[in-house]
Amino acid sequence: MADAEIVGDYTQNFEAWIDDFSEWQTRIGFDPSWLGDYRFDIKFDWDTAGDAIEFGDFEGRPKWERRMQVPQQTIRDAIVNMVSVQGDTEFASVEQQNHLLASAPTEYDRKSALRIMCEEQRHGWQMAYLLCTFFGEQGVREAAKLLERNAQEGTRILGSFNEPIDHWLDFFMFTHFIDRDGKYQLKMLSTSSFKPLAASMGPMLKEESFHLGTGANGLRRVVKQGVIPCELVQKYVNKWVSTGLDLFGTDDSSSAEWAYVYGVKGRYDEREAQQPADREHLNEASRDLYFQELRDEMRRISKVRKKGEPELYIPSDRFKRGIGKYAGKRYTVHGEEFEGDDAAWDEYLSAVLPSEEDEEKLVNEYMKEEWIQYREWKGD
Amino acid sequence: MQHVALSSFDKERCGPFFDMLTDYFHQHHHSEQGNAEGYEELLYRVRRPYTPEMLDMIDVWMGLDKRDWREETQREVMLALYAIRYPDTLLLESFTDKARSDLRRLSAYLHFTNHTYAIWDEDTRMGLAKLGIEIPSTESADPFVYGAYVSAIELLKDVAPFTCFIEHDVPRQRLFQAALAAYGRE
Repeated sequence: MADAEIVGDYTQNFEAWIDDFSEWQTRIGFDPSWLGDYRFDIKFDWDTAGDAIEFGDFEGRPKWERRMQVPQQTIRDAIVNMVSVQGDTEFASVEQQNHLLASAPTEYDRKSALRIMCEEQRHGWQMAYLLCTFFGEQGVREAAKLLERNAQEGTRILGSFNEPIDHWLDFFMFTHFIDRDGKYQLKMLSTSSFKPLAASMGPMLKEESFHLGTGANGLRRVVKQGVIPCELVQKYVNKWVSTGLDLFGTDDSSSAEWAYVYGVKGRYDEREAQQPADREHLNEASRDLYFQELRDEMRRISKVRKKGEPELYIPSDRFKRGIGKYAGKRYTVHGEEFEGDDAAWDEYLSAVLPSEEDEEKLVNEYMKEEWIQYREWKGD
Repeated sequence: MQHVALSSFDKERCGPFFDMLTDYFHQHHHSEQGNAEGYEELLYRVRRPYTPEMLDMIDVWMGLDKRDWREETQREVMLALYAIRYPDTLLLESFTDKARSDLRRLSAYLHFTNHTYAIWDEDTRMGLAKLGIEIPSTESADPFVYGAYVSAIELLKDVAPFTCFIEHDVPRQRLFQAALAAYGRE
């Protein structure tokens, strides 16, 4: 059974990184006093991480606990890459969201968003700790980069984490769709052959569940209130789903296959799966599970809409994809091939995605009203 | 008290409870008694600056009688709601007898204002007892008894596997307290 260890002593490398982290907070405008009593603990759940490598070509051997136990440099590079990408997303989301605290619809929403930002920073700390503690100079360099790239400048590694989050509808969309992808990534790493990485995931997954609940319940409250028409909400769903699907990476991915061969990153349902993995289509398999989960969740959210409002749905996985076999091709939100010239395509996109006019109306018209359940209790 | 209650903690014994935790949570939280919608509404409605009307709303949701408090008692409790810092419970010791007389009421105020303190509930206490964590029964706000109760729920959060943490925006303390209440009744 899980028994979390909280690390008490930090290495010199990590202590130095913490100084850079404080500067990063100042740079992005996150006031450390907002943290209150919250502490950025480094947490490991060693029991759940398991002792033996669970899949891939090293299956059955003891999990690696230190860098020098990892048998090849290519595997070390793969682990460093996984940890760096995960850490990059954690800090990016805080850069994207922290300006929203001032416009929270209720105090509870503000507290929830703040808690999410604290926990995302803790997750970033955890990843930086792994890099600084287990991967020497290479790790220290990568940990420094986690604080150098910036979402506002569009230099974060993954597309979704460079998207602006301008208002609270985007925030709920992000926590519902993009944090849900985060849950998948964390679970896929929870069975990793590198034990400190696997042991980091349990405590992170515990915290992530609240983030997803905040997104799903936020959307439910918006739809239930009925001030923002479902037609407009649907446009934001269309915007975020395609970018969420892209986060799973390319189809027929060789890097996903190698990560599986090394035992570094498994399937979402690795411990429950009855069938052997289709190693050449690992990203597709995880994306399909995610896509099905999105559809189930959206059915639940759509149920609370007001009478006469159109049903909300998840657009086709072919629509507006930037990565994979549908990338750059033209499909409608219902998955049909689009027929028409460039001008017609642009016109179609402006009808199914939020336009500048939609944004203007959302922020300056709908959000001036009681646009979300319980909004009336916010004092001004 | 906290040490006595938690030093003999047997985490293996919690396995069956953790396996069913999400079901237990739904059983209690979404029951008529749990009134999930009313609970959620309070999370949003109770906000700073706290007012006596907000405490009234909590009393109604808890099914408690109207407070029979003097003005000073009410002020004393409301100031404490701002001052207290989780997981401290010793502040309760400085309360006057009247303010301390009803732990259920006081714990609910603490829960809805801080979101970290757990609501005191006899079924939850029974649930903890089934897991081997014996907390004495009490009606008044004994800081040591309530402290042990709060720490026990915190400990369970810590040792529970991540699969117990369902995608919900209620505070995690509520998730565990509600599940324990259903487990205690079973």
